[in-house]
Amino acid sequence: MESRVLKPMLAVYVVAFILFLYGPFFVLWILSFQQGPDGGPQFPITEWSTYWYRQIFGLTPPSRIAPLPVGEALVRSLILAFMTMVTSTVLGVMSAQAFRRKFRGSGFVFYLIVLGMMVPGVLTGLGTSLLANNVFEITRHWYTTAFATHVAYTFPFAFLVMLAILNRFDSSVEEAAWSLGVSPWKTFRKVTFPLIFPGVLSAMLFAFTLSFDEFPRSLFAAGGTEDQTLPLAIYGTFSVEIHPNIFAFGVLTTLFSFALLSVYGILMGLSVRRARKLAMQEEIA
Amino acid sequence: MAYDLQLSHIGKVYDNGTPAVIDFNLDVDKGEFIAFLGPSGCGKTTTLRMIAGFETITSGDLLIRGSRINDLLPEKRPTSMIFQNYALFPHMNVRQNIRFGLEVKGMAAAEADRKVDRIIDKLGLTDVATMRPNRLSGGQRQRIALARSLVVEPDILLLDEPLGALDANLRKSIQNELKLLQRELGITFVFVTHAQSEALALSDRIVVMNAGRVEQISPPRELYTRPQSLFVSRFIGANTLIPGVVKDLAGEGVTLDTAFGILTGEKHDRLASGDKASLILPAEAVDILPANVAPEEARKTYGTNMIPCQITRAQLIGHILQMGVQLPNGDVIAVEGHADKYRGQFAAGAQAFVAWQAPRSTVIKH
Ligand SMILES: Nc1ncnc2c1ncn2[C@@H]1O[C@H](COP(=O)(O)OP(=O)(O)OP(=O)(O)O)[C@@H](O)[C@H]1O
Ligand SMILES: [Mg+2]
Repeated sequence: MESRVLKPMLAVYVVAFILFLYGPFFVLWILSFQQGPDGGPQFPITEWSTYWYRQIFGLTPPSRIAPLPVGEALVRSLILAFMTMVTSTVLGVMSAQAFRRKFRGSGFVFYLIVLGMMVPGVLTGLGTSLLANNVFEITRHWYTTAFATHVAYTFPFAFLVMLAILNRFDSSVEEAAWSLGVSPWKTFRKVTFPLIFPGVLSAMLFAFTLSFDEFPRSLFAAGGTEDQTLPLAIYGTFSVEIHPNIFAFGVLTTLFSFALLSVYGILMGLSVRRARKLAMQEEIA
Repeated sequence: MAYDLQLSHIGKVYDNGTPAVIDFNLDVDKGEFIAFLGPSGCGKTTTLRMIAGFETITSGDLLIRGSRINDLLPEKRPTSMIFQNYALFPHMNVRQNIRFGLEVKGMAAAEADRKVDRIIDKLGLTDVATMRPNRLSGGQRQRIALARSLVVEPDILLLDEPLGALDANLRKSIQNELKLLQRELGITFVFVTHAQSEALALSDRIVVMNAGRVEQISPPRELYTRPQSLFVSRFIGANTLIPGVVKDLAGEGVTLDTAFGILTGEKHDRLASGDKASLILPAEAVDILPANVAPEEARKTYGTNMIPCQITRAQLIGHILQMGVQLPNGDVIAVEGHADKYRGQFAAGAQAFVAWQAPRSTVIKH
């Protein structure tokens, strides 16, 4: 009785959800094939072409439309995301490892860490920029102040992921290693780390993607034009005039994200399949 | 001579305030096989983990060959532990598992290989050496854990219910292997179990624990014949407890005033006249006398330790006669003995006497 009403409603909801989620991307995707350089960022498509894609890579003759200033910003963002990913994951693994034993003030430290993802980005960014300008009197750069805010933001995610992984980790294998005369550090490297690696992979993915499209913190904490990250650079072009090249670029970055996700999915699938095989055999035995 | 392992007044209180082990004292000789036996939660694992170094010691001293090692890190101790779930490294194959301890110690590859090969061969793991442990049976995994621990040549091997996860047949055969291996290698074993039969079959001495305390440390046989506490008498073997009041301590044994008259047993503990106590009567000590026994003759052997009873069940199994005898208070004792000894004169329903020699029973204060 109920399901006769509920089911269609849920179906409509799901369709609407997917439409809102993928609709904009779909529109961008179509418009990115607009004819150039005179075609504008609106329907109808006057003529299908790959002009704007070629323009991004500098393969078109110069025209009145300047190429997107994203080249350097992209490199900056990639490097920044990579640095953030490494730092946050290392910190996340180490701090989650520390939380396996209760220590005095562990509750307080926990909230201190998690605060980094709770506080609104605008506040963090603004605060950092004020601190840098007025207290420490240092110049803001994407690789210094912005980097710090990115780590403060992504570290809690890596920390929580690792905490969940280590929570379910059977520490008797570590004890077994110790009792064979293996030092704690070697035990971590040769036993613990290989076993928690799927979790480390997830933490890395989180940190990378969060940092890669981070906006509010970078806006305030990064310096001038020569310090712009990709999201800032893209935002900057809006204020001038929009051309379909930005759509083409959006499609490319999305494809890049999908590639990243696929690599993650493959790696994860491999280790999950192995883990499932272990579990199944455990049950049979 | 220094003992291999000494626990002196060892105590453990967990962070949450649970006292898990209280005043544990034990001296272990080199090559001894010690079993910790006790009900669930009595502190066996905690004690073992303190010896291994996984758990801090709250009070007391832990000594290995005379030196105090309370604060030594686990990897520096000459102990190796075998876990109930075996704790094998799932990302390494059998051979890598076994070789791991030697490898990280930096042993020369050739020597490590030789040692690994020898232990793999000894424990019959040759066929599975390149397989992942999770693809193997419980018995095989158990042997891998054993090989992994033995290959690093520990002085003391700690085993936490290593046979708990195996089925009964496998358990029996691995028990035998374990005992042979221990004799051959001369390594000190400390073995945790809550299966009586395992402890009795394997160990030189058994430590019976209850609620964090040591109740008794004895060779297996003595646990049966001479329990030292009411707990042990209830936990081990088949004992009948006859409560009473201590009457006289002057003679050889101690006499107890009970519902069945004056009974005599070996004394134990600080007893005073008038104390409430129980006479512990092991089933093995019980003789069954026919109702028409000559009283004067019987008294020479049994003194006043004769209680009239009724046979409730008598069953001949091969040459063993199994009987159930009921005391006047309704308690039933299961007795078994060689059929010849009883000459087939007992049948269900017959009247008889339960009798025993005083030194074969013990009086323990309540
Ligand atoms: N990490 C811990 N924190 C707090 N209490 C604990 C901890 N580990 C064990 N205990 C408690 O200490 C007592 C002894 O536990 P232990 O594991 O040593 O018992 P055990 O004799 O090995 O029991 P079992 O036969 O069930 O394995 C129990 O009451 C248990 O609840
Ligand atoms: Mg236990």
